[in-house]
Amino acid sequence: MSETMLIFGGWVAAGLTIFLFSFLYKDNPFFKTAEHLYLGAGMGWVFQTVLFQTWIPKVWDPLTKQGDWTVLVPTVLGLTLVTQFFPRVSWLSRYGFTFIMGYGSGLVIPLTISTDLLKQIGGTMAPFMVSEINRGNIWSLVNGSIIAIGFICVLFYFFFSVEHKGAIKKASNIGIYFLMLYFGAAFGNTVMGRFSLLYGRFDDLYKYSAPKYFYATHVILAALVIYFIVDHFRTRKPAVEEEAA
Amino acid sequence: MKNTIEKILKIDRRLIFLALTLLLVFPIVRPLGLPNKNIGNEVKALHDKIEGLPAGSFLMLSLDYDPATRPELHPQAVAVIKHAFRKDLRIMILTLNAGATGLIDEIGERIPKDIAPSKKYGTDYVILPYQPNPVAVMTQLGMDMFQIYDKDRDGADLKSMPVMKGIRNVKDMQLGMCITGTAMLDYWVAYTADKFKMPFAGGTTAVSQIGYAPYLQTGQLKGLMGGMKGAADYELLIGEKEKGTAGLDALSLAHIMVIALIVVANIMMLWLKYL
Amino acid sequence: MTLIKKHIPLAICFIVGLLTLSSYYVPTQSSEKYVETMNKWENIVAGFAFLLGLFSLFFSHTRKITRRVDGWGYSLFVFVGFLAMVVPAIVSNGKQMIGADLTGLGWGYRFLFNALSGTMFSVLAFYIVSTAYRAFRIKSAQAGVLFAAALVLMLAKVPLGQMIWEGLFGWTGAWDIAQIGQWLMDVPAVAGKRGIMMGLAIGGIVTALKIIFGIERQYMGKD
Repeated sequence: MSETMLIFGGWVAAGLTIFLFSFLYKDNPFFKTAEHLYLGAGMGWVFQTVLFQTWIPKVWDPLTKQGDWTVLVPTVLGLTLVTQFFPRVSWLSRYGFTFIMGYGSGLVIPLTISTDLLKQIGGTMAPFMVSEINRGNIWSLVNGSIIAIGFICVLFYFFFSVEHKGAIKKASNIGIYFLMLYFGAAFGNTVMGRFSLLYGRFDDLYKYSAPKYFYATHVILAALVIYFIVDHFRTRKPAVEEEAA
Repeated sequence: MKNTIEKILKIDRRLIFLALTLLLVFPIVRPLGLPNKNIGNEVKALHDKIEGLPAGSFLMLSLDYDPATRPELHPQAVAVIKHAFRKDLRIMILTLNAGATGLIDEIGERIPKDIAPSKKYGTDYVILPYQPNPVAVMTQLGMDMFQIYDKDRDGADLKSMPVMKGIRNVKDMQLGMCITGTAMLDYWVAYTADKFKMPFAGGTTAVSQIGYAPYLQTGQLKGLMGGMKGAADYELLIGEKEKGTAGLDALSLAHIMVIALIVVANIMMLWLKYL
Repeated sequence: MTLIKKHIPLAICFIVGLLTLSSYYVPTQSSEKYVETMNKWENIVAGFAFLLGLFSLFFSHTRKITRRVDGWGYSLFVFVGFLAMVVPAIVSNGKQMIGADLTGLGWGYRFLFNALSGTMFSVLAFYIVSTAYRAFRIKSAQAGVLFAAALVLMLAKVPLGQMIWEGLFGWTGAWDIAQIGQWLMDVPAVAGKRGIMMGLAIGGIVTALKIIFGIERQYMGKD
């Protein structure tokens, strides 16, 4: 790919980034354009991925090159999904949906039982095993106890079918504090995560402000600022004229 | 006084946006170079796990992130690949996320250039094509991976490649790792690590990191990198500072800004209450 | 007609669900073969499921254009964006790089999709900050605990936070903020998260069983 196309690409990337950020100041046609482009480009990207990674290698090639007719079964099931758009035959889509839902539900059960139930209960009880206690690590025992107590108290909080009073109320209140600690930690992590993304975008904009890209970031930013100033005076004009009148 | 405080509390949020922008852009233009002292235990555990693998061991690396989470996760991937190549491990890169293919191509471009110029494609590492059905892939990898991956991303035959010698499924691999911004790591743990007893590690965004603390505790994950800090910690451990470390300075300022804003707002609220 | 429209689909759900569930717990030759085949089929059906969303989007925006609704011009850009990714993909046969050269699809991914997708997600950061300032009010002990946990995490994760903590409390010989942050993540947060995971897991299993046994049928639409 030529150097010109790469520089043009830099301008496109910087422009679209700044257009999307311009919404933070005010809604404007540039933001709306970038937003709709994102919608189309996102769908286009997934479409080409599904085309070249699924339909061609897993349906077209086996059917035409290897004569494997069994791929027609999932193909037909998949096509029934599309009948959703035609009310008279939309009931056909149930075949596709029930296949997906049945398969998905069948998979979810062993996943959650082994990973989210058994392993977590096991992990909570592990510090209290005789072999662990014999190691004599007091901190492990203390931390394990805190986790176990917190875990049980949080479960008490989620027992909505039992009235929260007396001992259950006390336990559920302790559970709430553990939940607050978890949410606080999650908030801290969320803040970090989002800032990392934002930093990444600014890093790219800084890259495209280099002389190599003919100061793309600066030029587009300046143009947008000029647009907002002109737009401000344009939309303010009728009020000023009214006042003058 | 009361009016001033109320005005400050109701300040135009665009000024806050501008302040945040300036705080994040400043370290990019003028790096602060703040020292990163405390390395997370889970990052150290991951580093030690890879450090302890003998040369020729097989690392399965699933890069399941897209451009949206790139600033946090891409530096993690690069750091792990650098370390793995330094330890002469064989690497198999795959993805179950359509958006990751472009980012993997970038890594593929960089390996012969600056990451590990001495390593040869097909002999030391291989890149597999995207597959859309994660659970199908994970289950198949535990049984016979060539049923689902018969060719690499360029269409070359996979089984005959020197890098795949002695590998039929995950039981022949020494370590699996998933770097993702979605819940894909949960699936890897359930369908591969737990089911086939494969040693597994992860790299996640800072947002998701806390959700994996239980897995670290139970040993389902041998190590974990969380967000840009995780990448920066790992870069420090392997002695190669890159994008992860650079971003930490900007994050420092931004974090302090959020804390300061919350504290100031609450102090003003209390002040108003007792004024 | 009810047989074809209702009972057979429900039977498919039941049979596929039960077989998939039992194949995890019954590792025989035939269950492995079944799982292989179902995996391949699911791959293909999932690819078609995407078409639903795509057609829905196209119908909606085409209607806006034909009816000349307010802002219909923007809907044209949806198709521009779509074609900007799909046409180069077809030309280059789905490849982003040919040798060391970037193809049209590679260009579109790097400069179009990357920029748009990354920016959309990062805009949230601004809203987090402004909302934290305007709405994060510590009016109860529980909110205080939430803020304390967030404060510890945010300070612990960045060098500047560690330096501030050392400057303020380093002389006491107390724990390092990073150690406190680590303990917070490893102990109380784990307890909270485990409770939530347990609740979600039980809910998920119950819902999955309801779907397999046909009790939960909302996904099938109206009878």
